[in-house]
Amino acid sequence: MRGNTKPRGRALSRFFTALVFLFLYAPILLLIIFSFNKGNSNTVWTGFSLDWYKSLFQNRLIMRSVYTTLLVSLLATAIATFAGTFAAIGFYSLRRRSRTVLNTVNSIPMMNADIVTGVAMCLFFVAFFTFWSDFAVWFNGVQHLVTLPPRLTLGFGTLLIAHVTFNIPYVILSVGPKLRQMDKNLVDAAQDLGCTWMQAFWKVILPEIKPGIASGALTAFTMSVDDFIISYFTAGSSSSTLAMTIYGMTKKRVTPEINAISTLLFVTVLVLLVIVNLREARLEQTGRQERRPRSQRLTRFLDSPRGKVFRRGTAGVLAAAFLVVVVLLTSATNAQPTVNVCSWGEYIDEELITQFEEETGILVNYQTAESNEALYSLLKSGAGDYDVIVPSDYMISQLIEENMLAELDYSMIPNYTLISDRFKGLTYDPQERYTVPYAWGTVGIIYNTAMVEEPVTSWSVLFDDDYAGNVLMFRNSRDALATALSYLGYSLNTTDEAELREAFQLLKDAKGRGVYQSFVMDEIFQKLEGGNAAVGVYYAGDYLTMLENNEDLAFVVPEEGSNWFMDAMCVLKDAPHYEEAMAWINFIASTEANLANMDYIWYASPNQEALEQYPAYYEKLYEEPLDPEIYEIMAAPQEVLDRCEAYLVLPAHIRALYNDLWTELGI
Amino acid sequence: MSKELIRLRNICMAFDDELVLNNINLYINDKEFLTLLGPSGCGKTTTLRMIGGFTTPTSGDVLFDGVRINDVPPHQRQINTVFQKYALFPHLNVFENIAFGLRMQRRPDPSDPRKKTKIPEEEIRERVMEMLEIISLKGFENRRPDALSGGQQQRVAIARALVNRPKVLLLDEPLGALDLKLRKDMQIELKRIQQQVGITFIYVTHDQEEALTMSDTIVVMDKGSIQQIGTPEDIYNEPKNAFVADFIGESNIIDGLMVQDKLVQMYGRQFPCLDGGFAPGEPVDVVIRPEDIDIVPVEQGQLTGTVTSVTFKGMQYDIIVDFKGFKWLIQTTDHSPEGARIGIKIDPDGIHVMKKSQYSGMFGDYSSFSDEYDELDDASLALDEEESGDEE
Repeated sequence: MRGNTKPRGRALSRFFTALVFLFLYAPILLLIIFSFNKGNSNTVWTGFSLDWYKSLFQNRLIMRSVYTTLLVSLLATAIATFAGTFAAIGFYSLRRRSRTVLNTVNSIPMMNADIVTGVAMCLFFVAFFTFWSDFAVWFNGVQHLVTLPPRLTLGFGTLLIAHVTFNIPYVILSVGPKLRQMDKNLVDAAQDLGCTWMQAFWKVILPEIKPGIASGALTAFTMSVDDFIISYFTAGSSSSTLAMTIYGMTKKRVTPEINAISTLLFVTVLVLLVIVNLREARLEQTGRQERRPRSQRLTRFLDSPRGKVFRRGTAGVLAAAFLVVVVLLTSATNAQPTVNVCSWGEYIDEELITQFEEETGILVNYQTAESNEALYSLLKSGAGDYDVIVPSDYMISQLIEENMLAELDYSMIPNYTLISDRFKGLTYDPQERYTVPYAWGTVGIIYNTAMVEEPVTSWSVLFDDDYAGNVLMFRNSRDALATALSYLGYSLNTTDEAELREAFQLLKDAKGRGVYQSFVMDEIFQKLEGGNAAVGVYYAGDYLTMLENNEDLAFVVPEEGSNWFMDAMCVLKDAPHYEEAMAWINFIASTEANLANMDYIWYASPNQEALEQYPAYYEKLYEEPLDPEIYEIMAAPQEVLDRCEAYLVLPAHIRALYNDLWTELGI
Repeated sequence: MSKELIRLRNICMAFDDELVLNNINLYINDKEFLTLLGPSGCGKTTTLRMIGGFTTPTSGDVLFDGVRINDVPPHQRQINTVFQKYALFPHLNVFENIAFGLRMQRRPDPSDPRKKTKIPEEEIRERVMEMLEIISLKGFENRRPDALSGGQQQRVAIARALVNRPKVLLLDEPLGALDLKLRKDMQIELKRIQQQVGITFIYVTHDQEEALTMSDTIVVMDKGSIQQIGTPEDIYNEPKNAFVADFIGESNIIDGLMVQDKLVQMYGRQFPCLDGGFAPGEPVDVVIRPEDIDIVPVEQGQLTGTVTSVTFKGMQYDIIVDFKGFKWLIQTTDHSPEGARIGIKIDPDGIHVMKKSQYSGMFGDYSSFSDEYDELDDASLALDEEESGDEE
């Protein structure tokens, strides 16, 4: 009987192994394949090309973040390896009880959720900066030889400190066992034979624990490159790691450019791993016979009287240098003309950044946030000390209400006159004191004409059973309820609880009847492009991007009306680079910049000239006329806008009701 | 007589609040082979490490040639150590391991005495090769330590220490990791080397046989105190208390009463002996070595008992005999069957009388005797050693 089970067991285990590998590697394989896709879809293969790799290397945001990532990872690895190694030796020389306690303390940061570490560090830095600014002001007052920068901000320095901090435990963890494996008499033996402790360290401990140090450093480096969450909270507005940039890029959708960089990352890690494994295998094969002590010259130097001074001085100098570097790096942003911008993913033609930097010599730190709400919490936590932000209408109202925005100096923004009067003095900023419009658009129904026969004109398709199981709904309370409110003929900004509950009931019933295939945000791109759903609701600009990959898709702003939105540039109160911020806003408000942006992001420009000139611009650029229908979707004509409504900031109790209803819906 | 080289004066040592060494007083002569003997945790390794400079006493003085060296670090002492499990440097070959100490040495430059100079490479080579000869490992200089047998590693460790021409060599259970046969060979080898180089050896072991074989002087330690100092013969024949008697060799330890000088009473009977100096009627511990007991017919015996077990040991039989509930070990060449009634006779020089001590009543009864039991006991002791070593 047992003999029987064996082959079957083997087949089963093979099957499971295959399954595991499939799950592990199939997604990566898919990603690699689509990084060579000619088109910009992740579902439709349109031919082989290396374009995405080319555009990757021309993408200055990515290249700069690669540089930042490498710099911070290498520095953090070096510092953490140094500190961690000596910490491990310190732990090792303790008594067992204290060592156990310290080891546990050491492993807590590794177990701890990154988000907690990140937030904690952010809070700590912000608290320190407050303390520092008081100190610097006092210090600069009592003496005039040295001027301390009174304002420190999150930046490369804090990013580096954070990385060093979370790397040290990994080094300790991998050096510790090597020390414990080491014959504990080795150090005694070396000292017995005439070594001081330091000499014993170089001659005996170091060669013994070198593999541990190397693997600790490698782990630390990998962790650094890989880290997103902690970096996100500590990098501030002036530096972005690669992970942060990629994340910013995915907010809209996963473009093949991201596939390309992910492929490169994957290959790099793969190569690193292979090298490490090969090296270990070779070492094992040749034994340790061939290795000669290499550190001899260094040791000889360190043994000399000069070396002794050097040795003693080194620790102090290193510590001082590290502090100076950190303070310099954190304040470097103040030294060079800079502007810190936070916008949305895929929401600018990056050429414009380069152009602006070349024209003005002002460095642009460009970051992206996920949503208005995410931006808001970043600002509140103190982690987002940006100069320029691009929130949407309702969020602007809220920020103004909470006194978080600075008034703009319109004399420094001559291009403001180019903004269409239609988009000036809107409800969120009626007196035109805080904002310069950036882009606008409408929300509408996107449907697949191959699956939907009749032209859609009403929100009813989202609530009727006609396309049950094939409808995609917004996965956020405000937008989802807005469709229902619109359908029922109520205001999108209603504060009437009965109206809201009615809209909610409509949504809930439809959900109960299985109308919705799923509730989505950016996943809608894949679903609609791939023909996996018939009807969805999303933004006009994004519809145009989808259209490139699936010509059957159509867009309509329903007859009942809809939401239209405006994103506008604002400057935060106490922005450290106010004048640079004005220069940036003026540059972006220009007609040329608006044309480039409009062509790149497919959202409508608020600049009157750009709006008028775009069809001609398009024709010149692509040598074919712009389809007027497409232009109308992009920049909805006034009669469409007239039946749409912009969001206003809702009172707190209504916002709470939205949350409650959303929870009740149970997404 | 040889002159005194090292003296430990009123040494106390405490880790946390635990007293590890309690008022140790000891002198060590030049060219002496001295062994610190005792069970795990008795403080012998701590004593050795103190002489080596790896720990400093909580109170008391360590004197070397009459100079206090409490605070002199190990690398400045004319003392070298052979460590438990050898502690060879795994990343260096045999030659470099032995040359390690020489490469670290600096001595006054002959041309300019103010300057210090290294030992020239030719001299290093010469001295290392000389050591390799002494330890009979010529031709092994390019091997890595992990390519050597345990005994070879042991000898390299000795050479690595001796090449520095120390005045004292400390050996911390150097043979503990070797198998029995090799251990016996190395005992002889070590003694030979000591005589050849003519320096002081301070040797730490928990193996009483090793101590008896090699030492000029044995220091028996327990619970941080010295129990007895003496030559191997002294220690064996004249143990000071029940602990020493039990730890060195096999002993039957019986409660007795000193009737008068040279007469001791056990089991209500009087036995002539050679000891004196006790108060009349003083309770004492009486030690009788198993090989000093003769088996005689019941009617001729000073005592009679029943054989409860017999073990054949090759050279002799180990016989356990029950005398009124107290079991004795007797080693004899005569066979007596289990269950037999026998008489025994003890010569006066086979009886050793000791004062009562804190150890009275703890040792010397063979009721639970078994070889296996002894080995298990050893294994647990070896584990303890590692634990306590870690703590230091």
